[in-house]
Amino acid sequence: MILFVKICRLSVTLVAGLALGANAAETPKPVKEVAKPVKEVDKQVDIKQLSKKVDDVVVPLPNEVFGALNKLGGVNWREYVRNEKVSNFTERPRIALLLGAVIADGFIAVQAEDAPTVKEIGQRVLALAKGIGVGNSITPHAKAITEAADKRNWVSVRQELDRTQNSVQQAMNEVHDEKLSQLVSLGGWLRGTEVLTAVVNKRYSEEGAELLHQPDLLVYFESRLQSMPEYNLKLLQDIQGALTEVRPLIDVGNAHISPASVKRINEITTKLGDAITKKS
Amino acid sequence: MSASLKSVLRLSLIACLLGFAPGGRASVDDAQSFALQAAEPYVKEGFQVREDYWGGDLAAGEKKAVRQQLFKGNEYWFWLGTEVETAKVSVHVYDAEGKLVEQSDGWQKGHFAGAHVVPKSTGSYFVIVEIEQSPEERTHWALVYGFR
Repeated sequence: MILFVKICRLSVTLVAGLALGANAAETPKPVKEVAKPVKEVDKQVDIKQLSKKVDDVVVPLPNEVFGALNKLGGVNWREYVRNEKVSNFTERPRIALLLGAVIADGFIAVQAEDAPTVKEIGQRVLALAKGIGVGNSITPHAKAITEAADKRNWVSVRQELDRTQNSVQQAMNEVHDEKLSQLVSLGGWLRGTEVLTAVVNKRYSEEGAELLHQPDLLVYFESRLQSMPEYNLKLLQDIQGALTEVRPLIDVGNAHISPASVKRINEITTKLGDAITKKS
Repeated sequence: MSASLKSVLRLSLIACLLGFAPGGRASVDDAQSFALQAAEPYVKEGFQVREDYWGGDLAAGEKKAVRQQLFKGNEYWFWLGTEVETAKVSVHVYDAEGKLVEQSDGWQKGHFAGAHVVPKSTGSYFVIVEIEQSPEERTHWALVYGFR
């Protein structure tokens, strides 16, 4: 048997060597340079046939909406940086929501180019991830966030924050904690929406308010919360109620989202944000 | 070398080769690495490529629609890849009414494809992925996206 294992290992080395040799001989060109334009494409499709329900939604990162908001101009991101200490919680769903919110705070601190806060947030994320049992997957990212913030390399910090969230969620999914993973996304979305509405409320524009037009994401989060009856937490019930209230305010079809709606959504998400970060 | 040792060597080589055979241990993760390869040149152009991605497997000729929230003001690229190198894949983006919304610089090259979108409004869009041709019964695919 030992002989077999040794021979097998030798064969593996041989095969891997051959494969590497073949790769080295044929260095691929970047895909973009050799690609051809697409041929005839259907200009119109029946979406209802192809997509019957909202599933597999990739929840946008907070900085996707912040980037779009920034292009409208005039945002003083320093006003929205949050760096106060957050409470310690033991309930895993609460930690998951908080983790998402703190990562969103990281993106805000990047927009503000506030290196000390970015570094603090990196450490806070690590502490929260440890609290939920997925600290190991975050340690290298927390280190990378600190290093990139020291160099004021904001592109890298953004990338590391995305990697952090992804690693946390992957680690949760691996131990079949998908619901906690969804709460991380929800926590980030709520904090992102709180800041988006605060910015637009301060200086209303139809373009800024339009960024709130995210009805399918609300449907997605509502359906996910409904599938978590085992988390008997008042906060989750409050979030569910809030999403139900927010949906008609943003699901306005081709109409504009009004200043009053923006203000109301800001009140709702600010209240939820406080409930996520502070002990009641 | 004895005959029995030769047989063991031959058997072990076959076993190891099977383990390395394309598709033998293929997964959506492999498909993702190809989608990321397609995305690579765009990073230099300032696109932030998301870590999150969609994936699955489809039969040849089969399509899948995934919903994506896009924000007006941002610019997006979607990249599709599969590890089945002889497969042909495509990706296209439609709005909520089913109207094609992508820019004309989208491309398709065998087991890679890309679609470029500059959304005219904020809302839900549909990214349609298709395995147009493949020698496999089911072909893994992965879709990644980037924005700036």
